[in-house]
Amino acid sequence: MAHAGADRPIPPGSAPRRMSSGMRLLLGNEFGLAVLILLTAATFALTLDGFTSPFSVYTIGRQIGIDTMIGLAMMAVIVTGGLDLSVGAIGVCSAMLFGWLMQVMGVPVLVAVPLAVLFGASLGFVNGFTVVMSGVHSFIITLASMSIFFGVMIFLTKAAAFNGLPPQVQAFGKMRVLPGISPLLLITVAVCAALVVFYRYSTLGRQMLAAGANARAAELSGIRTGRVIVACHMLTGLLAAIAGLMVTARTGAAVPSMAGQLGQDWLLPAFLAPVLGGTLLSGGRVSVIGTLLGATFINIMTSGLLLMRVGEFWILAFLGMMLLIAVLADRTRQIFLTSRGMI
Amino acid sequence: MAAIRDSALTRAFDNDWIGPGLVSLIAVVAISMAQPAFLSSFNIFVLMSAISVNMVIALGQLVIIGLGQMNLALGSIGGLVAISFVGVIERYGVPVPLALAFALGIGIAAGMSSGYIIARTMISAFIITLAGLQIFKGINLGITEAQPFYGVPEAVKTFGQASVIGPLPWLMVPMMICAFAMWYVFNRMRIGRHILAMGSNPHAAELSGIDPKATIIWAHAISGLLAAIAGLMLVARLQIGQPTIGDDWLISSFAAPVIGGAVLTGGRVSVAGTFFGVVIIAIITQGLVMFNIDPFVVQIVLGALILWAVAVNRLREVRIARVQARGAGA
Repeated sequence: MAHAGADRPIPPGSAPRRMSSGMRLLLGNEFGLAVLILLTAATFALTLDGFTSPFSVYTIGRQIGIDTMIGLAMMAVIVTGGLDLSVGAIGVCSAMLFGWLMQVMGVPVLVAVPLAVLFGASLGFVNGFTVVMSGVHSFIITLASMSIFFGVMIFLTKAAAFNGLPPQVQAFGKMRVLPGISPLLLITVAVCAALVVFYRYSTLGRQMLAAGANARAAELSGIRTGRVIVACHMLTGLLAAIAGLMVTARTGAAVPSMAGQLGQDWLLPAFLAPVLGGTLLSGGRVSVIGTLLGATFINIMTSGLLLMRVGEFWILAFLGMMLLIAVLADRTRQIFLTSRGMI
Repeated sequence: MAAIRDSALTRAFDNDWIGPGLVSLIAVVAISMAQPAFLSSFNIFVLMSAISVNMVIALGQLVIIGLGQMNLALGSIGGLVAISFVGVIERYGVPVPLALAFALGIGIAAGMSSGYIIARTMISAFIITLAGLQIFKGINLGITEAQPFYGVPEAVKTFGQASVIGPLPWLMVPMMICAFAMWYVFNRMRIGRHILAMGSNPHAAELSGIDPKATIIWAHAISGLLAAIAGLMLVARLQIGQPTIGDDWLISSFAAPVIGGAVLTGGRVSVAGTFFGVVIIAIITQGLVMFNIDPFVVQIVLGALILWAVAVNRLREVRIARVQARGAGA
């Protein structure tokens, strides 16, 4: 994309006009989103009965936790300029393995969780390895793998749910840590913190950003981009698996249809949250906090609209509009900033 | 000697449809030998109906693949068109020809609007059509509340069930018209050449005077029209205005063109190849049913077929490039 360079981090000293960090914060996606969230939340709280009820706050928070995790999973691969259509399929497959391990094999919960998460990462490895080996765009590879993963899962489970999970799983999904706070949201916040540190300070995280911003330059400076891209896909699989387990905890059962046909229902939240949060689709730039804020905004809007008795189905169309507006606003912002010589 | 054999071989492989055509033929022979019922007139009728609808769907994706983009909203446009068509007839008693024009208009408008936004902003088609998918599907479900419309006129029902001659369904007629039209567009019309030129090298295309915006909008409008036709054909075939029409088009719409030799980065498509891609998918699906294999296996096979086709296309590209390089050296 022609404008891809516009949003890259500014190397110190080379910017036409250096911005103060305060200015950069004000122009960033995160700040705008935070203001938007505060405004909508305040409006809904004042005008809608029941929006601030403990139950409503609790369920919105829990759903924010899940949607953010799905968004982070996609973000981890968007970094490379690629994408992963199979996030939903990986999430469901990991959740089904989780259910099978506990219900059929009698594996204790604390052992089943890491196994399921590792399984998600290994499915991500399959994607990443195939993408790097074939040199074909990740769109078509993950289109194929979403069909294969989901097909194998349905074939093995006979499309039946695992309902007899240990009671701790459901209890965890219904638990309140503080009044109105779900542990699922806390897990997400912890993962966000870990990812911020990972992308900012770890070698692998920085290599991921470099490979995504300019694969050739990264290769020339000694980064083995192939391995890095495989690692990105593994991270995607791992986060998708965590999201799958979170949904399992919420419903109290591992259900094959939890992400829709082929896991397609996860695609919208997966792209909406990172794009709202300012992650560039062409790669090279991530915003973990932006993704969290994006998911927060979506869920506040959705529950507000539901309370206003806007039909559930129209909300789907509304979210699509929101994705459109988000990318259009982002493009306008880039053009504006470029024309003012600010980036 | 070696050079001649090599070039003949390359030329054969260069025809995108020969490989998939041979595979289709072998599959038909093999399955009908194992299961003679495969060639029963009832089975051929069912098979041809499925092929007809899926071919039009695949053509809708093929146009956009030629452009080097993708259209995730294809299925949701088809679904929206299907329920709008039956909806206006059932609710408002609109005559069938008018309803047809209205429905096709929706398809074209939906395609054009995504094309317009993509052309205007140059944001990736993936994200715009993903948004389109949600919007069209949301409108569809908002109108129907997930309940089908039953008021399909008798004429349309008959069209979906009747046969032209023997086991060949009427549904083949729109399919053949669309296939011929798309072959004509790609091979004989300026807009088709422009689409392929944009797909193979957008920069060069623009420098040689092609209007990129108009080309993108046209391609998406054609795609929307084909999605609409496919949606209407499914209404005729299913006999109801089902809101779920289009939900499962995504994978097969990419699988058939790719099996038919289309290069996903754009610029190279084959209508005949796509047809055999559709045939292969239909035969395998039908074959699995005949041998009482779990229908979910179809998903796995479809995914594997895409990977296989991608690998074959890559190998062929390498081979063609090598021969061309040798030719240039000599």
